[in-house]
This record gives sequence, structure tokens and C-alpha cells, in this order.
Amino acid sequence: MASDASPAVAPPADHGAGRQTILQRVASLRAWLFLLALLVGFEAWARAAYGVTFLGNTFNLQSIAIFAVAPLLLATGQTFVIISGGIDLSTGFVMGLAAVVAALVVGWANAVLSPPFAVLMGVFAGVLVAGVPGLVNGVLVAFLKVPPFIGTLGMFGVARGVAFLLATGTTVPVSNPVLAQLGNGRLWGVPWIVIVTALFVLLMHYVLSQTRFGQHNYAIGANAQAARRAGIDIRRHLVRLYVLSSACAGLAGVLYTARFSAGAAQAGEPLILDSVAAVVIGGASLFGGSGTILGTVAGAFVIAVIQYGLVFVNVKPFWQFIAVGVVIIISVLIDQAQRAFAGGRQSE
Amino acid sequence: MDRRRLLGAAGLAALAPVLAPKMAQAQDAPRYTVALIPGLTTDAFYITMNRGAQAAADALGVELVFQGAADFNPVTQVPVLDAVIARAPDAILIAPTDTTQLVEPLRRANDAGIPVITVDTFIGNGVYQTGAGDADFPLSYIASDNVLGGRIAARALANAIGGEGQVYVSNVNPGISTTDQREEGFKAAMAEEFPNIEVLETQFNENDANNAASQLQAVFARNPNLRGVFGANLFSAIGAANGVQQAGQTGTIRVVAFDAPQSIVDNIKTGLVDMAIAQHPATIGWYGVASAYAHLTGVAIPVAIGTGFTVIDASNVDDPEVAKFIYSE
Repeated sequence: MASDASPAVAPPADHGAGRQTILQRVASLRAWLFLLALLVGFEAWARAAYGVTFLGNTFNLQSIAIFAVAPLLLATGQTFVIISGGIDLSTGFVMGLAAVVAALVVGWANAVLSPPFAVLMGVFAGVLVAGVPGLVNGVLVAFLKVPPFIGTLGMFGVARGVAFLLATGTTVPVSNPVLAQLGNGRLWGVPWIVIVTALFVLLMHYVLSQTRFGQHNYAIGANAQAARRAGIDIRRHLVRLYVLSSACAGLAGVLYTARFSAGAAQAGEPLILDSVAAVVIGGASLFGGSGTILGTVAGAFVIAVIQYGLVFVNVKPFWQFIAVGVVIIISVLIDQAQRAFAGGRQSE
Repeated sequence: MDRRRLLGAAGLAALAPVLAPKMAQAQDAPRYTVALIPGLTTDAFYITMNRGAQAAADALGVELVFQGAADFNPVTQVPVLDAVIARAPDAILIAPTDTTQLVEPLRRANDAGIPVITVDTFIGNGVYQTGAGDADFPLSYIASDNVLGGRIAARALANAIGGEGQVYVSNVNPGISTTDQREEGFKAAMAEEFPNIEVLETQFNENDANNAASQLQAVFARNPNLRGVFGANLFSAIGAANGVQQAGQTGTIRVVAFDAPQSIVDNIKTGLVDMAIAQHPATIGWYGVASAYAHLTGVAIPVAIGTGFTVIDASNVDDPEVAKFIYSE
């Protein structure tokens, strides 16, 4: 996957886009190089310290891919939002809300429908309900001019409360053979949740890099004034944008329920910051206007590889906290240096 | 908002006769208000505790107020406590979220003449009414012994794996008194009683099942002789169980869960989790309210009440005498 990082580049259509292209290509590539360096580093560490291979062990690769699913899905939606110059803090609990709704709906539907249809109902219900906080976020940001940070923080609370109310404060167990297969089954050795996530992320990559929606997204993030003058309906775009972000979180929630056979309102709580970090490591700017889905994929895998690798090489737990923090800082520092370097070109 | 959660106390019916004489007078007795402040409101353990507390409150004609914060953190618990003190209940039952940071806030309640009883967790060293230290003012500490619970988990796991192999503790975060104690008891019992079992480094998952699953896979990838894992709370356990499943080691790597909400019980039935160490939170809540009532009506109460554990596994999970200890609303 690393090799096709360059087509990640965006939209030729806009005024700002030509400049973005170079920056984005470099930034996205940087994340993949960083990931490569980490993998090589862990391989060397594992060989030197224990005489075992890290990368040669397919079990490790599978485990890392499974681990990356939820943060990557949240980060995919977040990439769109961050490129537009916003941020979506609600996704962690939107994910939990979707997880709980999916568990409840599959539970109810089990009684009247055959297992595959019950799962279908649950998946649709989970993603659909997740869209509601996204819609509210979009209206708050687009029409009521609430800053994204505050508006989505508010929905973070609302989604959290609703999810816990629906779940009566506990986890909602669910039993359905098809759901269990989706969550823990494999196709030719690849977990279904990884396949679903990969297909979805590729689709989102296409949407961001090849469609008008994606082009508008870059344009708004680069210069909202100019985008408006160019005739883009910014408000409508923002509403769709936040719904998309919530839907990504919804999918993450549904897959969580499938995997753990239970919906938990707090399922995504620990992932919010990881998902934002993945986007930034992936080369997006928190000020908007740049970023790619493929960069974010690398960013999410950087975090997953660090966390998994440190356990594998048996680093003491407290050092793991420090290491993850340091790697995020280093990654962003490299990014800053690169921007300062590329800045000359950009300001021409 | 949790006042809806009344009703249902089947498991406690057996205990009711103890206070039966009091109950007879409940109608004409003064109507006391007792506040129960859990460690967090979003946890099946405390919700079950509230159910037990409500059962005792209904029996005794006490009004029960259940208010708490959404996460286990003194920063969010203390404002709730202050608001409760401001409403001047007749007694406070609280699961303090920190052994030192809650001392002064609770002293304010005590100074205001509101008796304090701690449930599940404690302040100071948990030994009250001794005249020693500045945290001895609560009247009673009602809880299960988490160190003992960890020991029970260790013995159950050791028996399941035939007394040899590698195991580790999947834990939430360092610094939480109850989960720290479970780990302490687990490691102590393993060291003292099972010399052929090696306990690997503890992994902290920050209450994230995804992280706990990944950690299990990483530990197993490096230690193929891994035979067991002790999940010190709900998400540690369901995460570790999923990691075992992903690794295709169900039945080979045994999973012991601490606490017994419905999702863990379902996992026992499907074989993903081998056994759960159930505390008796409803009993804790019931004795909390009953102790407060006893104190308010002039009856001296014990400074410590220990509640027990039940080990739930596939062989007894359907037994009604065991099923009553599954955590529920």
C-alpha cells in the first residue's frame, strides 16, 4: 500500500490545489517513511534482544491490523473534518452510541428476523443513529456559527449521555452467529473487520481525492472566503461533512459490537485523541487545507505499531506511555520542519 | 436520573429477616434521606450496588439519592459530593475515588454533622474510628476484599491451567485502589502457592478493550507458553478474551475476569471467558443503607463489613443461586 501514496494527491480543480499537491505528496510520504522506519526499528530490536522476527511473523501483522481498525475509522472521518479546518471531538462517543444501538437492534431483530437480516438491521440502525449527532454538529457549525471545537464537544456529551441511557449504564451483550463471524471471522486469513475497513477507507480515499465533494473540502479548508466566492455552498458542505465523520464513527461502533459481542457506550472514548494524532502524523495540518486519507492510514498504523511493538519487545508499561507520546511529538516536529522548508515554495 | 432504577432485589430476600423488626416500624419512623455516591455512574458494579441500596431503602422507608460522576476521578467526584452535602442528607454512602484526595472533602460532610460510610473503596487506610490519622472519621467501610479477590482469581486460574505456564495481569491504569489490590493479591498468591507459574509484566490498557486485545496478542506472540490472563476489570477481560479468540487460542489460554456483568456471563457461556470472580455489590449497597439507618436510629454499627465473592464458571452459570450474583439493574 505504501507505494501508491503519491496518487493520494488531490484535486487539480482549485486555485489553492496546485500548491497543496506538492506539500501533501511529501507529507503523506513522510508518514509512510516514518512507519517503515518504525517497523525496521522493531525488527532490529526483536532480533537483537530476543533473536525473533517481528515482521516475519504474520500473527503480528494480523494483530496490528485488527488493532488499527477502530482508530483508523475514526481518523478517516476526522481527516475530512481537519482538512476543512474543523475538528470533530464527538466521534468517540458517537462510536459508543452506534455500538450500543447496533447491539440493541440486533438483539431485538434476532427475535423476528433470520440472523443475517438482523445484522443488516443492526448495522444500518447503528450507522443511521450515528448520523444524527453528525447532523446536529453540521447545523451547529454551518448555520449557527458555533466553533467546531465547542459544538462537537457538546455533542460528545450528548452522545455519551444518550448512549449510556440506552445501555442503562452497562454493556449490552448480543448474540448472533453472523455478527460474530463479521467481528472475528476471517476470509483467506484476513479478518473480516480488516477487509470491511480497507474497502471503506479506499472508498473514502476516492471521495476525498477524486470527487467534487473532496475538492470543495480542500478549498474550504485552504481559504473559506475564496471558496465561497468560487460559488461553493459551504454550509451544505459542512453539514454533509460532519454527517460523514459521524458515519465513520458509526461504522467503527458497529464493528466494535461485532468483535466483542457487546455494545459499550465508552467503546470509543480512549480513541479520540489517538484518531486526531493519526491524522496529524499522516500529514494533515490542524489549520486545514491539507491532508490525505492514505497519510492517515500510515498515521493510524504508526500508533498501532508502536503500541503493539512495545509490548512485543517487552518494554515496561510505564515506558510505553512515554514512548507513544514522544513518537507523536517527534512526528509532528518533523512535519513542522518540513513545512518550514516547504513554506518558501508555498508563499511564492 | 438514576432514581428510576428501583425495584428488583430477589437476591437479597434472604437477608431481609435480619432487619425485619425495624421494617415493621418503617412507616411511622422519621423519613431519612441517604445519599449514595458511586465511584462512577456508568458501571454495572455500582448500578447493582444501587439496586441493593434501593431494596434496603424501600424496606426501611428511607429515601435514597443516587448521584455520581461519569468517570472514576476525584476531580469530577468532589463537585458531586459538594452538591450532595449542600442538600444536607442524613447520611452519605460514598465510594471515594482517591484515598487521600477525598479526605478533606468528606471531612466537610462530617463537620456538617452528616455521617459518612464508605463503600467499595476507602479513604486513608480504610481502618476507621481508631483515633489515629486524619481519615478515621467515617463510621464504617463496607466492601469486598479486593486483595482476597485477586488471590481467588489466581487460584482459579492456576487450577485451570494445571499449575504451570506463563500468565499476566491485564489491568486498567495504575493508581486505582481496587484494581491495584486485585493485581497485588493475584501476584502474591501466584508467588506463594504456584512456583511453576511465571507471572509476566502487567499490561495497562486504559480501559480500552481494543488495546487489551492487542496487548494479549503481542504478549502471546513473544511468549508462546502463555497459558492464562487475569482481566482485572470488565474491559480488560473482554479485550483479553477477544485477543485470545483472535489468536485462535480459546481453551488453551484461560481467561479469568474480575466482576460479573451480563456480557462477561455471556462470554462464559460461549467459552471465551473461563470464569468470573463476582463481587456482591448489591449486598454492599444493602448493608450500606441498613448501616446508615442503624446509626441514625441509635444502633452502633461495625467499623468494617466484608462481603464475599462467588466464582462463576460454565458449570454453575445457570444455577439460580449463582446467577443472582450477576450484576444487573
